[in-house]
Amino acid sequence: MLRNYLKIAFRNIWKNKAFSLINIIGLSIGLSAAFVIGAMIYYDLTFDTFHKDGERVYRVVTQFSSPQGNFSNSGITVPLAQALKEKAPNVETVSPFFTNPPYKVENKETDKVFMEPENVIYSTIGHFQIFEYNWVAGDEKSALAHPNEVVLTENRAHIYFPDIPSGEIIGRTLIYNDSVPTTVTGVVENFKNRTDLIFEEFISVNTLGTNGLKGLLGDDGWSSTNNASQLFIKLKPNTDVTALQKQLTALAKEHQDEEMVSFGHGQNFHLQPLSDIHLNPDYGTYDYSRVQASRPVLISLAFVALFLLLLGCINFINLNTAQATQRAKEIGIRKTLGSSRKQLIYQFLGETLILTLAAAIVSIMLSHWLLRFFVDFMPQGVGFGIFKNPVLIVLVIGLLLVLTLLSGFYPALVLSHFKPVSVLKNQILPGNNKGSLRKYLTVFQFAVAQIFIIATLLVGKQLNFLMTKNMGFETDAIAYVRTPYHDRSMDKKLRFMEEIKAIPQINAITLGGNPPASGGTHASAVLYKDGETEIRSDLQLLYGDANYLKLYKLKLLAGRTPLNDTIREYVINKTFMKQLGFEAPEEAVGKLLGEGEYAYPIVGVMDDFYQRSLRTGIEPMALIGDWDRKEYSQFTTLHLSFDPDRAGEWTQNIAKLERAWENTYPDFEFAPKFMDDTIKQFYEQERKTSVLLAWATGLAIAISCLGLLGLVIHTTERRTKEIGIRKILGATLAQLNLLLCKEFLMLVGIAFAIAAPIAWWGMDNWLQDFAYKTELSWWVFVLSGVAMLLIALVIISIRTIATANRNPVKSLRTE
Amino acid sequence: MLLQLNNIFKWVQQGGQRVFLLKDINLEVEEGEFISIMGPSGSGKSTLLNVIGILDDFNEGEYNFLDEPVHQLKEKHRANLYKQYIGFVFQAYHLIDELTVYENLEMPLLYKKLKGSERKAMVADMLDRFGIVGKKDLFPTQLSGGQQQLVGVARALISKPKLILADEPTGNLNSKQSTEIMELFKELNDDGVTIIQATHSEQNAAYGKRTINLLDGRKI
Repeated sequence: MLRNYLKIAFRNIWKNKAFSLINIIGLSIGLSAAFVIGAMIYYDLTFDTFHKDGERVYRVVTQFSSPQGNFSNSGITVPLAQALKEKAPNVETVSPFFTNPPYKVENKETDKVFMEPENVIYSTIGHFQIFEYNWVAGDEKSALAHPNEVVLTENRAHIYFPDIPSGEIIGRTLIYNDSVPTTVTGVVENFKNRTDLIFEEFISVNTLGTNGLKGLLGDDGWSSTNNASQLFIKLKPNTDVTALQKQLTALAKEHQDEEMVSFGHGQNFHLQPLSDIHLNPDYGTYDYSRVQASRPVLISLAFVALFLLLLGCINFINLNTAQATQRAKEIGIRKTLGSSRKQLIYQFLGETLILTLAAAIVSIMLSHWLLRFFVDFMPQGVGFGIFKNPVLIVLVIGLLLVLTLLSGFYPALVLSHFKPVSVLKNQILPGNNKGSLRKYLTVFQFAVAQIFIIATLLVGKQLNFLMTKNMGFETDAIAYVRTPYHDRSMDKKLRFMEEIKAIPQINAITLGGNPPASGGTHASAVLYKDGETEIRSDLQLLYGDANYLKLYKLKLLAGRTPLNDTIREYVINKTFMKQLGFEAPEEAVGKLLGEGEYAYPIVGVMDDFYQRSLRTGIEPMALIGDWDRKEYSQFTTLHLSFDPDRAGEWTQNIAKLERAWENTYPDFEFAPKFMDDTIKQFYEQERKTSVLLAWATGLAIAISCLGLLGLVIHTTERRTKEIGIRKILGATLAQLNLLLCKEFLMLVGIAFAIAAPIAWWGMDNWLQDFAYKTELSWWVFVLSGVAMLLIALVIISIRTIATANRNPVKSLRTE
Repeated sequence: MLLQLNNIFKWVQQGGQRVFLLKDINLEVEEGEFISIMGPSGSGKSTLLNVIGILDDFNEGEYNFLDEPVHQLKEKHRANLYKQYIGFVFQAYHLIDELTVYENLEMPLLYKKLKGSERKAMVADMLDRFGIVGKKDLFPTQLSGGQQQLVGVARALISKPKLILADEPTGNLNSKQSTEIMELFKELNDDGVTIIQATHSEQNAAYGKRTINLLDGRKI
């Protein structure tokens, strides 16, 4: 029986090559998308799932609220760990650690120096109690008990102590930051599974108090939060998480800073489950080398895959029900010879399965290629090898079965429904009601394609808007170089600057803080007293001098720039000026900001510019000098503008810069950045979205058009006789074409009517993320509608013109 | 008695009026009979055959097949009846184009869930009996009309039915092929198979032992 079914299935598939091909292509496009996206999702969902009792492990994070909005920080105030240890009995283990790495490690025995080691943390033994590591050497209980002790992973140990067996590394010494001798007390295996806990070196946390590492600890009071100060906790089994959360909220409230509250600032601690860390970009992971996975992004990708799959299924349903009449005779015969309806349904489902399997084979090959083609969009580590995972294999098989049922069941029902008598008497006519479901499905297909088109156009439009919007300062031919974080010597900076000044292609040069627009911000709360009224506000600080304004072509509206680098004077922006209640810039000049001995004058007002990506608005800001140069210089970055006439000589210019850098900072990597690149980087996510959308659109259009082509072939074939008669009665080619196209163009039109509002709503939602957004112009919708219509028309005409051209005598005779 | 029709009526609604396809048909068929149903086009020959073959419903009346009241049976049960006892021969042969002669013959056996070895034996037997062994791997479109109908009859016989219903079996054949098929029917009837055929042709009708004339759905 099965062999018989298989045989007839293959012969049928072979006989209707065009239809089978359309089916397979449609399904394999959807399947490849599903495979690739599924691999990505599976990859991102399987991070840190292997830890024992992982569901009881949480990271404590901080949420800030302020008048400017809410911010998240993955760090916590330092004393929180101790407070939880003492006051929260439900917390089994507390593991506070600090992630700011030392800048230098030295193995004295071999005189090897390692600059800027990555993934180094200062932790307690708590870390190893929460996360189970395999200890290769050393004692897991006492390893980090004392200052100046370090545990290494095997990988790291092999770098620092090449060719020495792990057991013999114990007791050897590493020297951090030139002055902290540290003993290796343990070696652990690296995690074998996917993890975000990529730490390689664990220095005992009480080493931080000792010489040489003092500055790293930073402020250890309740009022300062640094994302380098992290906290993992493990709860006892069956702990009431909401109760613990209440306790955390109470702790946050107890220790809040009254002055901050008066500025409208608040903070709260939250429990972030271990499983959330990989997927929540609000708090981030520890692996800065990879792009953070994000749950919303994964969900939207899953939807893209789902829709492409659905489109493929719809093609299948449409084509097979349209073709039903061709199979009718076989069904009638089978039924009179004793086949039950169930047997017929199995038979047709079997045929669907064969086509699905063919599509699966095609898409496995396709996804192999796609995974390489889209390597920029993939989390690194996702490769074709991931499909060897048994879980994924089972999922793929499951998907194929579901797909088979989804696309095969309805056609099987329709086909097996035929009554043998009417079939055998040739009374079976393509019924009109069955056509209507096909129409709904086609409309759905085109609506999806249409939504994709509109979304692509609008995302592109917004991206274009973002990229071409004038930021309010000069962005061309400007570069900046950050001096090494660990080498703050002012002399070296000045020396570096002098060397660069000698390069003729460089127009201007200045030392300052961040560029005018950057990812980072530095803000402080300020108070302005105007007689009785008090205005409290957050003020963003931009560190620079008079040259800084000139270099970036920032416009000074009134007053002057600070007299020298360290004098305590403000140059505020227009937004802050308005917030303080001044109409004209001149009025603000000369007023004092702050209270008592911390009151400093406003000496100038500069025009507004965009301080970050255009997602956010313009906030109150002031340009100030390097006020605390003695303790902590904020002038860390060298800004330079190239001579625009000689800007073509990029490589030479950069090479000259690099030479100057090598002379000053031989130990550190030279990493200049260009201002226009920096701005481009703000919109990396949008650019990726746009590219992915373009692909999804292309594929959706391709699948829908394949389906349309199939339907058109079917309809024109069915109407050959009608066309012949009409032609004999004098219809022209154009009239016939119109007649045949009308039906389909109507469907595309209806699809547009459905798609437009959905797309409008969706894009409006998406644009809410931006403070500055492009318009949802009507012409985008019209354009996309017309485009879809034209594409459909071309597809339809390919077939209808050929049909209308046929010799009527022939078509009527074969009838 | 093989089957019995009592007061069978069948009609369709057309423009608010009942158009009768079968009107008050009474018929008793004994095993071993060879009946020819005659009448002009549209007189209801095919409809009557379909009703007898349980492929088609009727609106009124009783139908007993081997003492089973067909009009009261469920769909599945009916299917079982014709699967077991009835073989069909069609004017247009109705072979499945995608299957070879061998596979076409094998199909009814598949639906009867016979074992592979049994099927093989039975198909080989049929091929032999009808002298079409050499054609077994050909597809229907590669055969002449007479050969196709030969396969059709073989397929109808392969499941050893009690009754063969033939709707204009020679309608698409030339006279020589017709004679061959009718001779074949006669032989089968002599072996004990009950045959009911619908035909236009007096000559073919003469092969039957009894003739029923239909006009406008009524027996005359």
